[in-house]
Amino acid sequence: MDGKVKKQRPHQQKHSGPKAERKKLKKQGGSTEQDERKRNPKAFAVQSAVRMAKTFHRAQDIKTKKHHIPHVDRTPLEPPPIVIVVVGPPKVGKSTLIRCLIKNFTRQKLGDICGPVTIVSGKKRRLTFMECNNDINTMIDLAKVADLVLMLIDASFGFEMETFEFLNICQVHGFPRIMGVLTHLDSFKNNKTLRKTKKNLKHRFWTEVYQGAKLFYLSGMVYGEYQTQEVKNLGRFISVMKFRPLVWQTSHPYVLVDRMEDLTDPERVRTEPKCDRTVSLYGYLRGTLMKNRGQVHIPGIGDFQVADVNFLPDPCSLPDAQKKRALNEKERLLYAPMAGVGGVVYDKDAVYIDLPAGHVKQQQEEVRPTTELVQSLIDTHATLDTKMAGSRMSLFSGSAGLEPSEVDEESRAIQGLQETHVWDPHTKRNRRKVVFTEEEQEEEEEDSSDDEDGGSEEYDQEEQGDDEDEENLSTFLRKERVRSKTEALPAKRPKLEEEGGAERLVFADSEDELQSEEEDGRARDSGHCSEEEEDEEEDASEDEEEDDAAEAAANNQTMSDEEEEEDEGALRWKEGLQLKASQAFLRQQQAAPNLRKLVYGAVAKAEGSEEEDEEEEELGGLFRVSRPQNSKKLEANAVDCSRFHGDSSHDWESEEMLNSIRDCFVTGKWDDGQDAAVLLKEDEELYGDFEDLETGEVHAGQSGLQGSAEQNSDSDGDDGDNGEAGESVEVDDEVQKNKRLEKKRRLKERFNEEYDDGDATYFDDLKEEMQKQAELNRAEFQDVDDDTRVQYEGFRPGMYIRLEISSVPCELVTNFDPHYPIILGGLGSAEGNIGYLQMRLKKHRWHGRILKTRDPLILSLGWRRFQTIPLYHIEDHNGRHRLLKYTPQHMHCGATIWGPVTPQGTGFLAVQSVTGSTANFRIAATGVVLDLDKSVTIVKKLKLIGHPYKIYKNTCFIKDMFNTMLEVAKFEGASIRTVSGVRGQIKKALSTPPGAYRATFEDRLLMSDIVFLRSWYPVSVPQLYNPVTSLLLPVGQKDQWGGMRTLGQLKHDLGIRNNPNTDSLYKPVVRAQRRFNPLHIPRQLQKALPFKSKLKQQQPKGKTPRDLQRPSVIREPHERKVAALLHALSAVHHHRKKKAHAVQHAKHKEFLQQKDKQEEAKLLRQKEARKKLYRVMGQMDRKKQRSSLKGAAQDQ
Amino acid sequence: MASHGMVYDGCNYFRQRLVLSTLSGKRVKIKNIRSKDDNPGVRDFEASFIRLLDKVTNGSRIEINQTGTVLFYQPGLLSGGTVEHDCHTQRSIGYYLEAILMLAPFMKTPLKATLRGVTNGPTDPTVDLLKSTALPLMKKFGIDGEGFDLKVVKRGMAPGGGGEVIFTCPVRRTIRPLQLTDPGKIKRIRGVAYSVRVSPQMANRMVESARGVLNNFLPDIYIYTDHMKGANSGKSPGFGLTLVAETLNGSFLSAEMVSTPQGQGEPVVPENLGRTCAQLLLEEVYRGGYVDSSNQSLALLLMTLGQQDVSKVLLGTLSPYTIEFLRHIRDFFQVMFKIETQKPLEDERKGGDKVLMTCVGVGYSNINKTLK
Repeated sequence: MDGKVKKQRPHQQKHSGPKAERKKLKKQGGSTEQDERKRNPKAFAVQSAVRMAKTFHRAQDIKTKKHHIPHVDRTPLEPPPIVIVVVGPPKVGKSTLIRCLIKNFTRQKLGDICGPVTIVSGKKRRLTFMECNNDINTMIDLAKVADLVLMLIDASFGFEMETFEFLNICQVHGFPRIMGVLTHLDSFKNNKTLRKTKKNLKHRFWTEVYQGAKLFYLSGMVYGEYQTQEVKNLGRFISVMKFRPLVWQTSHPYVLVDRMEDLTDPERVRTEPKCDRTVSLYGYLRGTLMKNRGQVHIPGIGDFQVADVNFLPDPCSLPDAQKKRALNEKERLLYAPMAGVGGVVYDKDAVYIDLPAGHVKQQQEEVRPTTELVQSLIDTHATLDTKMAGSRMSLFSGSAGLEPSEVDEESRAIQGLQETHVWDPHTKRNRRKVVFTEEEQEEEEEDSSDDEDGGSEEYDQEEQGDDEDEENLSTFLRKERVRSKTEALPAKRPKLEEEGGAERLVFADSEDELQSEEEDGRARDSGHCSEEEEDEEEDASEDEEEDDAAEAAANNQTMSDEEEEEDEGALRWKEGLQLKASQAFLRQQQAAPNLRKLVYGAVAKAEGSEEEDEEEEELGGLFRVSRPQNSKKLEANAVDCSRFHGDSSHDWESEEMLNSIRDCFVTGKWDDGQDAAVLLKEDEELYGDFEDLETGEVHAGQSGLQGSAEQNSDSDGDDGDNGEAGESVEVDDEVQKNKRLEKKRRLKERFNEEYDDGDATYFDDLKEEMQKQAELNRAEFQDVDDDTRVQYEGFRPGMYIRLEISSVPCELVTNFDPHYPIILGGLGSAEGNIGYLQMRLKKHRWHGRILKTRDPLILSLGWRRFQTIPLYHIEDHNGRHRLLKYTPQHMHCGATIWGPVTPQGTGFLAVQSVTGSTANFRIAATGVVLDLDKSVTIVKKLKLIGHPYKIYKNTCFIKDMFNTMLEVAKFEGASIRTVSGVRGQIKKALSTPPGAYRATFEDRLLMSDIVFLRSWYPVSVPQLYNPVTSLLLPVGQKDQWGGMRTLGQLKHDLGIRNNPNTDSLYKPVVRAQRRFNPLHIPRQLQKALPFKSKLKQQQPKGKTPRDLQRPSVIREPHERKVAALLHALSAVHHHRKKKAHAVQHAKHKEFLQQKDKQEEAKLLRQKEARKKLYRVMGQMDRKKQRSSLKGAAQDQ
Repeated sequence: MASHGMVYDGCNYFRQRLVLSTLSGKRVKIKNIRSKDDNPGVRDFEASFIRLLDKVTNGSRIEINQTGTVLFYQPGLLSGGTVEHDCHTQRSIGYYLEAILMLAPFMKTPLKATLRGVTNGPTDPTVDLLKSTALPLMKKFGIDGEGFDLKVVKRGMAPGGGGEVIFTCPVRRTIRPLQLTDPGKIKRIRGVAYSVRVSPQMANRMVESARGVLNNFLPDIYIYTDHMKGANSGKSPGFGLTLVAETLNGSFLSAEMVSTPQGQGEPVVPENLGRTCAQLLLEEVYRGGYVDSSNQSLALLLMTLGQQDVSKVLLGTLSPYTIEFLRHIRDFFQVMFKIETQKPLEDERKGGDKVLMTCVGVGYSNINKTLK
């Protein structure tokens, strides 16, 4: 083979040419990127800081948007089956689809789909199918538990109201994955309309769910089934789908019940058919951990206390891990007890065999063989099942589980116990250890094995010795005990032994004594036992059975003995080291379970302890067992104090005691991993060599032989503890150097890793933290067996559990319909209580009418559906909640109800009725819980009206507003107002008439004024909480739940007509004609008025009298001619004159211009002349001055 | 509808029951309260405690029968806000404060409680002790931030009282799970030596003798002396010492000692008190663990009320009070702790056995807090 490998031609490097040149350049001048930056710095310079900041911000925004709040991943290793709810209007093909899918996955045919059907679909996945009928109750319930919704839509019809209703229900209760499936596509004859319809439906679907939501097309039916290939594809989609956890589901445990059995005594049912039933419900636990004895709500029935929870073997388990791609036929399991599949089903104390009598669709029945022998045989068969080992044994079904303790008690009565003295190095005294005699121990073992055969549930760590390892261990322990008893007792023991013998008698028949004694001790020191006593209790309380208490004298004796032992023990703690070691081992073996037992008692017993205690109280219903419980009583009424008093045996003066805590302080010895000296040395080894760049000096680390020598001396001088380390370093240079290099490299890698991780954000840190927590959660209880684990954690999701619930209404059983889901929703710690809930609510935009305050409304909140009476209100700007009569049309408002306490932030939806189906959209409102309280403050406006009866200037006396003085006293100082807007204040009550008061106003009131006082009156919320008990209704009428009716409905049903207020009725308006009186101004005023405003008294000008009228002149034709001529002539003259005037005007203007010019020239001339003159004058002046100066000079 | 209640006997662990009932919302009935006693029924200090509980809650129902031997309590919702309470002087404020510490993070509005009474009494943890140990412990669980404080305004010693503390606490919606398994080594010891209405020299004498014991282990010891005068000094004379050891990982172990109340038994010499107190601290160190013995139950409660995740804490020897508390937690929350004993190794000198407590929280969320 090697020889045949073709040798590749070696690469020939270019030595000349441009390529070689470039390469050479590159080699010399560093990287090109650097180069470019240098060559063209402008291109890489920051152009704009703002822009840079913007791009950075945007990049960060995009990055952050991708983040989800990290959650701790609490999904169990073996998750429960995925709940697939198939929804759609009737006759759309839901059952057919489920049948096809089941056939696709399991190759089995199912007739009627009743209840949940669980199948194994793959190596890691199981599915539970549930069909949702057209009842809104079912739709609401199933939306809360669904992981995936297959929403079937009849394409030939289009969307129906139910589809939208279901989508809206989903939106409120957390949105599960939704996949649309279009059916009835074969009814389209025309391909174009088909395509168009598909597109339309798809886009509408997308707007409701999300853009790009998966919509599946089932084209047509073949022999009443969908096409195999399409179903297969749908199945593939389902089996690879991923789910995001929903808040409500991940914080509450829940079970979709797939099986129900009635456990009520048949005799009782016969005599009293309506009696409350006890039922057991089965199903996979989902959501989160469920505690035993928690509270659950069953939607459609009510709240119940769980009487008992057990886990059962998985009826539809995942295949064991195999390296195979597909499942084989045997592993394709199907489990659907309600649908009549499942064959043999196991209960904790019975087996149910389903008889498929010719595919009769019926409930599986309990098949109980009549003879007791056969029955017991079947029972034993059930209990032989290894997985059933954990449950309680009962020999005969129906009888209570047999307590192994009873057996124990008997054996003890015969055998008795022995004690051994065990030397305790810790407390330095001798201790008495209970040792079973050989026979008894065997018997105990037998008991325990018996118990286990019988499926006893009693938890006892020591009784689990089934497998060989433990058997070996126990024999070893036994030997050890015997040895310790016989051989190596401290020297001074014998005398005490004898004393112990006497003691033994007392001790033998009541090992409980120590406990009581210890309780005495507790009472003595105010409810606190010392450490020793506790330890003792650990040892002694092997079995906490209630025996008769022993005499106090014996107690005292043992006490004093112990003290003696203690004294002696203090001297001889060094003896018998080997013995001590073995004993320490023994103690270690027992300590853990015993501490647990000390705190919680025998756990299985504790489950029913309260009842048992009460049972014990009475004997035969007549006599009460009287027992001295003084010690217990004393403890019960001791001082309630959290302080833990010190152990008096510790002598903190002694050096030994002080030494025992030396290492708790920083001055003490450290672990190797933390010791500074050791760490420093390691660092020295690693980083010792470095070069001082300034001086060029090279510091070498302690390497090689020299280094080791130094190390030696170092560590010797150090503290002697680590001295040995250096001596072992006798290896040659090379190896050590390599080692060190290797170590350095690793450290560097780690450093780089951390350093590169430098941009780890808060988000990353948070995610990592969550991851760590998730790992811890998984790892913590991994290797604990299921029985114990369940006690610590509760039941894990994914387990198949059986819940027993007592006092269920008989209608659940008698009216049981498997088509309706039964859901067990676990409730949180306070969620079982009732109180006021404040919520934010908005009327649904598709609901036709607004909602009225105090109209009953059915809410779906948390697991529950209930009817309640909400009050709507809105918050004013000052924080006051004002009552509204109706919800606003398009706005949020507050709503307050009396209902179950539910955590804030939980969504809810409201419907007005769940009865039948109406054409309208039924979801009336949606919202969210804001606050919980035990009291509410909603107020409505109240106006009190009064009338003045006496008015003195601004003071008024007002009556009719109140009835007594006391009422007025409450409102003293309140502000009041009149209708006209005059403000005032209440001052003081008057004695008569009652309820009248004195008030002052900012202005004088009129007697006709009405005074009112604005006040706020608290409204109480009606306390109606009425769970919708739809599951209890008879079969076929389950969607007929009525509940409380609104006033409107009541009136409608009873035929009562609303009598309107007669004042509110419309009448024709009759208006009287208005008359206005003339304005009258007094004469005095008239006189004083200015003329302008004075009334004008003159009459308008009348007609001129006839005698004053002048006659008109009519001209003769000649005269007319003359007049016309004269007119023409005058017109001509006028025109001429006008013309002449214009000419004259122009001339004059010209003249004026000329005159101006001349004037200017004259002025210029004069100016010149003046200039000349002044110059001459100036010269003369200067001459004169000069001469005068000269003259003066000459004078001197 | 409503959950079944719990029924208990006797007045011991009175506070635990009421506190857990309030937190879990389960009603509780306590019967036979000192029924065989010469003076039957609830004592004044218990009545005072009930009144305090009534003040911080809204809508709780409390019924006590004629003789006071039967108490029925139906819890309401925790409302918080500003609360003033005169604690009865039979027990010190610590008695009330221990319960308030457990409730305070789960109120509707942040709590501001003014408690008046005996700040430093001999039976209960003093306010100084709670301030220096319980508060840092709660901070670990995520209850911190502004307004988490315990302030001693006036100091009042045992019989007379007259002290005043102001406790403020923010509210939280959830408590985070914690793994407190390694307390680390003790790095420093701090303390308060207080004296009221006696010579201020008393405090110095206590400090001197306490240091004498503790200096064997650690040089970093600082004990503050606090002498309050005038109006702040309460009604009775007395003195006392609180010592706190802080470890590298931020856990606090504490011990304290208070002088015998005036007129109740033998008076104590400050030197003796100092020495005994120091020895008590050593005892506490010997027990060890992440949480000291008086705060065990607080730590366990906060673990129980955490998210549905695994929490761990290392404790010293379980005190009887804690053991009963564990049982009560199981009753009210159905939470069982996994209890593992950790033996010290042969050559280790780190005191006695430790107990590693592990539990899965119930996923409690504060239902009282308002959503805005």
